[in-house]
Amino acid sequence: MEKMLNKADLAAWMGKLDSHRLFSPALEDEDVWNYMPVDDAAKVQLNHPNTVRPPKGFVFPQREVLYEYSQVPGEAPVLNETLPDPAPAVVFGVRPCDSRGLVRQDIVFTKEYEDPYYHGRRAKVIYVGQACNAPPSANCFCMSVGGSPSAEDGLDVLMTELDGKYHVKALTPRGADLLAKGGDLFKDAQSSDKAAVEKAHAQAKAHPQRPIKDLGKVAGALKANFDSPAWDEMAKACIGCGICTFLCPTCHCFDISDEVKCSSPCKGERVRTWDTCQFPDFTMHTSGHNPRETLGSRLRQRVCHKFLYFVENHDTQQCTGCGRCVSLCPVGIDIVSVVERLGQP
Amino acid sequence: MSQNAYLPKLGRIAAIKEEVAGARAIKTFRIEFVNGDGFEHDCGQCAMISVFGKGESMISIASAPHIKDYKQFSIMRTGRVTTALHDLNVGDVVGVRGPYGNKFPVKDWKGKNLIFIGGGCGLAPIWPVVQTAVKDRGQFGKITVFYGGRSSRDIMYRNELEKLRGDVDVHLSIDAQEEGWDGYCGFVPANVMTKAPKADNAIAITCGPPIMIKYVIQNLKDLGFEDDMIYTTIENKMKCGIGKCGRCNVGKDYVCVNGPVYSWAALKDLPQEY
Repeated sequence: MEKMLNKADLAAWMGKLDSHRLFSPALEDEDVWNYMPVDDAAKVQLNHPNTVRPPKGFVFPQREVLYEYSQVPGEAPVLNETLPDPAPAVVFGVRPCDSRGLVRQDIVFTKEYEDPYYHGRRAKVIYVGQACNAPPSANCFCMSVGGSPSAEDGLDVLMTELDGKYHVKALTPRGADLLAKGGDLFKDAQSSDKAAVEKAHAQAKAHPQRPIKDLGKVAGALKANFDSPAWDEMAKACIGCGICTFLCPTCHCFDISDEVKCSSPCKGERVRTWDTCQFPDFTMHTSGHNPRETLGSRLRQRVCHKFLYFVENHDTQQCTGCGRCVSLCPVGIDIVSVVERLGQP
Repeated sequence: MSQNAYLPKLGRIAAIKEEVAGARAIKTFRIEFVNGDGFEHDCGQCAMISVFGKGESMISIASAPHIKDYKQFSIMRTGRVTTALHDLNVGDVVGVRGPYGNKFPVKDWKGKNLIFIGGGCGLAPIWPVVQTAVKDRGQFGKITVFYGGRSSRDIMYRNELEKLRGDVDVHLSIDAQEEGWDGYCGFVPANVMTKAPKADNAIAITCGPPIMIKYVIQNLKDLGFEDDMIYTTIENKMKCGIGKCGRCNVGKDYVCVNGPVYSWAALKDLPQEY
């Protein structure tokens, strides 16, 4: 289903979706863009650069309660399962690289066992994507990892900005429902509109991006270079802050721990929180043995997980080229450069 | 696996046995599921044990699958959760979720000689195989157990090991000489070389500290054991148990799902970082 929406009617459409929580990229602080609740649809503009945080938190929050526990001394513990049942939400302005990240998360949280917390949220969040007319970041490289500025993977709706209008394409039944709620605000896309969209998408693809050569050979080269001293060399500047993984739309590692609210009687919550392979204690055994005790071994893990291990398991990279880990690394470690150096035969 | 894999079942501690005292204390806990709400397991599998308010730890199930009344866990006091476990009493209730991981292919080993090589707390993960082999003694060839602790006070399952003698060749060792010790003195890999078990029609199963395992495998190779005749377990740090949290990831594998049991033939193809 392909429709056209006047830019001036975007707020009116959002107004018709008030049975959902609405989110859209907005300026959080100075030049910091993030997904924020839409408090005034008239202010929403979908011409944003990359948000600092990807939209993974809507379905995989940074902190999530798995269950509550309480235990009176001498008695068995009582567990209270806390599966999420959030109100439906629509997230506008999702970049195609980030929606492809969601597809990678879906693989992880579905494979062999369907994670009920993830899927409880996933079922309630609708993603309205925004095709990129130009790279939203200087470090974009979506096309180098099999994506495109107008990729549809993981989205319910894809919007493309044209002159004074949006081309709005429903990609799933729930996306079609969103458009149906807009009623007369939408007009059927004409052949001239479709031609304009194709042209816009082609122009976006023609914009230069960070290149990765021979993507198909990267996994094999990383395997061959596993013991290269270059890993330690490239990680010398790393401060182990983990921002590269926390802001990655595909990274999914987490910790599980107890948060105690009362020690007597024992009451608290079992929570999962984002964690990262870049922290030294991520793999440290209680014995003190640590399989990845150096920064170089942890950089290698991050890059190999994305470009080797995930490919071996799922035939696709666990990187969608959003460029956040490059742009926001405080010491300038650049995954594209790392792959150029160690991922090339 | 329950519908919500993160939600533990409740297990009551039915018995506690002090295996080893001191700073590296080991206790063996027998846990019975509350209201019979348990699970079956295979040799080599693990479970997450919860002490609410402290957290969870992945622990090998140290009882054989044919024992249905309880699950046994032998746990060294090393961290927050294991210290809390050591402070519990018979009758206390903990959380148990699992079973997690793959299994030792014991059925494929019928008619073969089995050589077990354990060190420290590493006897626990392979103990279900020992128990199974002894129960089905007629189905296997010669059974040999090598086991070593730092000192005579660090020998776990001491009584059980002594009871095996006669049916099973048991070779105990301690790291340094002590008065009254008439067994081997030295590290476990060296004891294996001294006794030099034959590789013919044999399977070697080893678990212990990572450094011990590495030397044991090297020595077994020197004794002529092929890669697919050597089995071990990787006890990486784990949290979720279901291949999601990423903590136990080695190469393409999540050890909590694809392991912890590996033949050396399979393990040597993974990145050597465990």
